[in-house]
Amino acid sequence: MADYILFAVVALSAAALGVPFLQYVGKRGNLPGYLVVVALLVALASTVLNAASDSTSSTAFGTLLVSDSLGNLFAILTLFVTLFVAVASLTLVPPGRSSNSPFYYSLLSFASLGMLLISYSADLLMLFVAWELMSIPTYALAGFRKDSEESNEAAVKYAVLGALSSAIILYAISLTYGLTGTTGIAAAVASLGSQLSDPVAGLAVLLFVVGFGFKMSIVPFHMWAPDAYEGAPTPIAALFAAGTKKAGFVAAIRVVLAISTVYSLTPQGGLFTIPNVLAVLALATMTLGNLAALTQKSMTRLLAYSSIAQAGYMLIGFVIYSYGQGNPAFAQQAELGMTGALFHIVNHSVMKGAAFLGAGLVILKLGSGSVEAFDGLGRRMPVTAFALALSFLALAGVPPLSGFWSKLLLFTSVLNTPYAWLAVAGVLNSALSMGYYGWVIKRMYLDEPGGETTRIMEPTSFVLVLGVLAALIVSFGLFPGAVISFARSAVPALSGQ
Amino acid sequence: MGYVLSLLIIVPLLGSAATFVISSVGAGRKSASYVAAAFAAATLLVAGYAFWSVYSHTPALGSYALVEDHPWITLPGFGVDVMLGLDGLSAPLVLASGIVTVLSVLSSRTLIDREEPAYYALVLLALASMMGAFTSLNLVVFYLFWELTLVPMFFLIGVWGGDRRSYAALKFIIFTFAGSSVMLLGFLVLYFGLSPSTFDIPALASMGVPVGLQYLPLLAVFVGCAVELPVFPFHSWQPDAYEQAPAPVNSLLSGILPKFAGYAVIRVALGLFPQAAYQYAWAFIALAVFSMFYGAVVALLQSDLKRMFAYTSISHMGFVLFGAFATVLSGNPLGIEGAILLMFTHALATSSIFTVSGFVEKRSGTRKIPLLGGMGQRLPLMAALLAVASSAEMGIPPFASFLAELMVISGGISAYAWTAVTVLVPVITGGYFLWMLKRVVIDPHPAAADPGSAAEDISMADATVVALYLVPLVLLSVFSFLILSPAAPVAQWTANLVHGGLHA
Repeated sequence: MADYILFAVVALSAAALGVPFLQYVGKRGNLPGYLVVVALLVALASTVLNAASDSTSSTAFGTLLVSDSLGNLFAILTLFVTLFVAVASLTLVPPGRSSNSPFYYSLLSFASLGMLLISYSADLLMLFVAWELMSIPTYALAGFRKDSEESNEAAVKYAVLGALSSAIILYAISLTYGLTGTTGIAAAVASLGSQLSDPVAGLAVLLFVVGFGFKMSIVPFHMWAPDAYEGAPTPIAALFAAGTKKAGFVAAIRVVLAISTVYSLTPQGGLFTIPNVLAVLALATMTLGNLAALTQKSMTRLLAYSSIAQAGYMLIGFVIYSYGQGNPAFAQQAELGMTGALFHIVNHSVMKGAAFLGAGLVILKLGSGSVEAFDGLGRRMPVTAFALALSFLALAGVPPLSGFWSKLLLFTSVLNTPYAWLAVAGVLNSALSMGYYGWVIKRMYLDEPGGETTRIMEPTSFVLVLGVLAALIVSFGLFPGAVISFARSAVPALSGQ
Repeated sequence: MGYVLSLLIIVPLLGSAATFVISSVGAGRKSASYVAAAFAAATLLVAGYAFWSVYSHTPALGSYALVEDHPWITLPGFGVDVMLGLDGLSAPLVLASGIVTVLSVLSSRTLIDREEPAYYALVLLALASMMGAFTSLNLVVFYLFWELTLVPMFFLIGVWGGDRRSYAALKFIIFTFAGSSVMLLGFLVLYFGLSPSTFDIPALASMGVPVGLQYLPLLAVFVGCAVELPVFPFHSWQPDAYEQAPAPVNSLLSGILPKFAGYAVIRVALGLFPQAAYQYAWAFIALAVFSMFYGAVVALLQSDLKRMFAYTSISHMGFVLFGAFATVLSGNPLGIEGAILLMFTHALATSSIFTVSGFVEKRSGTRKIPLLGGMGQRLPLMAALLAVASSAEMGIPPFASFLAELMVISGGISAYAWTAVTVLVPVITGGYFLWMLKRVVIDPHPAAADPGSAAEDISMADATVVALYLVPLVLLSVFSFLILSPAAPVAQWTANLVHGGLHA
């Protein structure tokens, strides 16, 4: 039902456009933040209603948007992520005359609106506009700590590479339009799929992979991520890992993975196929992410690399799904793999959200983002340390937490296919990742605090956010059924089914 | 549908939460041990009842008692049930977990003196997941509980352990996590190789895994077990972890955790992949025998009590692997029967000796054998306990450990005559234990001037705890049928998988 989506769009737009005027209010305190939280709650409620009201997909705004389960899943997810980012920002981005907080929250609403529209996009141009609506505010947000050199550098690096990726997407769109004569995603992709023997069509697909891969921070398009995550205010790092990254994934699902029939990118067929390319990217992404994370001394960089590694696991589902597009015999595995990928995307947002926000609070309170600062944290900030430990265990895939099930689905889906080696790589990578997750947990609980040992006050709003995220990690682990079936309903039908 | 086995998991789980809440909110941290002991004892009662059910109505060959089946995840192409059941293999281990945890909690009252609420909550969490691992008949759920046990153990070693606890804990979790991940991969390969696919052990056993599909999962399960037991060359985490863990945690860490692996070897590696196991039994037996000698010889060289006991444990766990594979090769059920009995006796014996070492350290301030000495005069009760617990560990009659080792070795000889050399292992073990006792108990204290008259002997309450570990071992040497009669069908069933009942 388009009305609900419209309602969400209006709520977010109103917040985004209205909140900056609070700059003229003298004693505004956290008012901009509260207003945006309310707008996000309204938008979240209306997307949930949208998901509940109608199970069949329908288009809206002409054919620009499509309201389907996949869109609902990502819309709810990204709004939820923005919501907890906004709530955490109330603490982490303190209001003050010089802090420009109305603009901070306005940019956050714009980015959220962009992610919402990407989720429902049914037209390449709509997708591109929404993509820019999401990206441009985040360039500013990455550099929001104006007096910090790091933050400025991060923002510039992110903006330049981001603009490049946008240009690449735009180029891919223009190639697609040239080849197919349409910008409607469904029609364009179907037509593109039948022309894949044409090298130009293959180029268009590759450019889409590169452009979206940038936001998904998959290797080798990940270079911006550690710097941007480290330089940006930590809630914005959480937004990158849990939010904008997922928007990249939904765009890739809608465009790249929908390509069916002939999936070879070269006229001769052979090795250069979409699933093969994705498989290599998946392997590189998880392995490089984990290896790099092992050597990090800064917490946000460690989390950034862990986030890269996790994207590699998600790609496993993409590999088998796109393989299933060309091989009906593997339809069941393809569906399972995509279910796992969507479930892992949801889980990762929750787990990484908890990790980044927890780390953000520690950085705020201790003034240091180095891993040493986390020594003995279990006694100084018990709630934060507990949430961090829980999210790390879930990220490593320790049962019965949420991350275990989604990884299990992902790894099982590729067994008995030519990509079984990805499952082996995934399992070995999970074991490897214990090296740094366990290392941080060890520091928090087993090591003595270096300097002071006093208990540090943890703000209530923060305890609430971390509590909700921790509860989700545990309950998704103990009762994965409901989320899995939602994820499953969101898996786009394979062609020819 | 029964609920006894669910209770085995739920009672300690509730206990874990209750202990933490009661002791950290209201009653004060000293109360934690009482609450935890009450819940552990309640779990032991349930475990006793479950064991008795299996003993009194021993399930037929290849079937289980007290079966429960709760569907958990149902997807097309992927399903996981929480399926619980008990037989003559798991029942003794469940009982041992109950006994060891109760006594571990009791010994913690002297040996653990900080952050009690979290400590006892973690011990009960570990108990719940141990019970889950031993009772689950679904491969994924088994793996899940196995993994879940590692987390509380990590904290128990890392927070309450010795000087190098943090290093030891991290090494422990990385090794065991890697090992069990490989095992999970084996389960998945099995699942997707089969049609119709299932993770339920009884269903897998009755349908029979095609021989071609047995090799990879067997290898994967073996790697997981080899790290956990541990077997040479997968053992490097173990001496560090055992040495650094606080003594009451050693009871769980060395008493129960390696039994996951022993259990998985018999239940999964042999029960589901018998033909592949038969083909490569020679290799596993060779590795097991080497590990038995390796553990014993390296133990001989240790100067730290706990490290010595740790290597002894490697040697003893080699017996389990040896007995299990000997049965597959020869069809003589004696090997597995001995292995099951040995797992039970080792759980109690090793727990008792580690607990004594904890008290020794508490009273004498060191575990280094050269720095101890003259204990027979200074701390006569402690010395007596050390000697008695050592006898149980050495496998001297009247302790049932003797019987278990004898059965394993006899079972082994029926596979390969050359394995008769393994009778040397108990001889070496006896040798270094007696040497240790000579140095610690009889020889004069190195600082002979004043043989530490200040040291206080072990209290009667603590001595009772150690004695309680040892009493069942003595009783078992007479009433060994309590373990062996339910174990026999399991051993026979496993032997029949390859040999079709030739030796029945």
